[in-house]
Amino acid sequence: MSSMKKAIPKSSLWKNRPVRMLLFPAGVLVAYGILFAVMPEKASAGLESSGNIILNMLVPLTLVFVLMLVLNLFLKPAQIVKFFGSQAGMKGVILSAGAGIISTGPIYAWYPLLKDLREKGAANTFVAIFLGNRAVKPFLLPIMISYFGWIYVLILTVLTVLGSVAVGYTVGALVKVQNGLSLVDK
Amino acid sequence: MKIAVSADGADLEARVAQRFGLSEYLLIVDLGTGDLETVPNPGASQQRGAGVQAVLLAISKDVKTVLTGWCSPTARHQLTANGIEVISGLSGTAREVVEKYKKGELHKQVQATVDGPAGRHRIDRDAIRQAARSSARQFASLLPILIGVVLLIGLFNAFVSREFLASIFSGGPLLDTLRGACFGSILAGNPINSYVIGGELLKHGVSLFAVTALIITWVTVGLVQLPAEIAALGRKFALVRTAISFVMFTGVAAITVFLFNLVAG
Repeated sequence: MSSMKKAIPKSSLWKNRPVRMLLFPAGVLVAYGILFAVMPEKASAGLESSGNIILNMLVPLTLVFVLMLVLNLFLKPAQIVKFFGSQAGMKGVILSAGAGIISTGPIYAWYPLLKDLREKGAANTFVAIFLGNRAVKPFLLPIMISYFGWIYVLILTVLTVLGSVAVGYTVGALVKVQNGLSLVDK
Repeated sequence: MKIAVSADGADLEARVAQRFGLSEYLLIVDLGTGDLETVPNPGASQQRGAGVQAVLLAISKDVKTVLTGWCSPTARHQLTANGIEVISGLSGTAREVVEKYKKGELHKQVQATVDGPAGRHRIDRDAIRQAARSSARQFASLLPILIGVVLLIGLFNAFVSREFLASIFSGGPLLDTLRGACFGSILAGNPINSYVIGGELLKHGVSLFAVTALIITWVTVGLVQLPAEIAALGRKFALVRTAISFVMFTGVAAITVFLFNLVAG
């Protein structure tokens, strides 16, 4: 069996993620440059406001890094994702929710693995639960708490997890899978 | 039992690729049946993150061993942490290394590197180093967009008045939640950016209903990534999941604020 794809040109600048990521801040800096020329007082006010935001974020950002380090050391999301494909019932819910919560990086990197899992028979319910729970990011909690307080964050986090499970079951009921392929997509 | 060989070509006569992450193909060989599956490495054309793609591919194919020319410490750590043995330093054709693996000739070299308490100590220190590298990379990847967002908020603060925002978000809890959810559903990206934007909007007097809906739909809905989700998981799955997520998480946002107001007074 062979699954072949067309090669992507290596020279494509747009495919280069680091370059793409810099385009947005570079664009904002250009806007600042233009603004400094035409409305310097507004540009200064904007820069000062940004500086204050960054200062307020320094401590939470440090905590974010520490939490990232701890999670990277002890948690293996890819292993859990692989495992939830073969589970059912509450165990599958817990594993798929847990994998979504601890997964890192852009969602695009996870699609091939999720696709493969579905083709092997993983339930739509668990894939949807995984995707919903990506909204819960333990290592980003310090930033969230610094803005909204821990009571709000606790309520939002618990309800997000519960909402994701509800979405998962609804998607599972509406999109049936047969031999790894969605019925409508066939 | 399946093994994966990183290769420069799509068959067993191809050379073993010198870099696991950048190899053009993974040749998945089932030692039990002799079946060969040729899988293009989606990360082969990427400058960064190629190793992760190859690692995820190997994990998804349920291989027990990876045979390659060289494997980065990060990819090796991720593979071994997922129970996949990595044998590197190999050259020749894929067929030659598979035959050597079958005869057990490659295992002697692996045994020499992982046995004994000194080996375990080295692996633990390696794990910490790799976790630190991985965290630094993740953290660094957050920063460009985050800085751009913060700079943009600075401009926003300089130009947009509280009165203007109040005129947009003054429709009461229901309309504010809906507007926040629409805004959050269109945008996407790392959730940290939604926290910063939401937090600053809150300071400008935008209602918590709108801000909560924005934060929660930012990741759970994400219209920007819908085409990629359709391509990977099917049109019906992606559309149904997106629509249900929008409705469900708009409701979750409203309930969150209602409960918060109840608890916090």
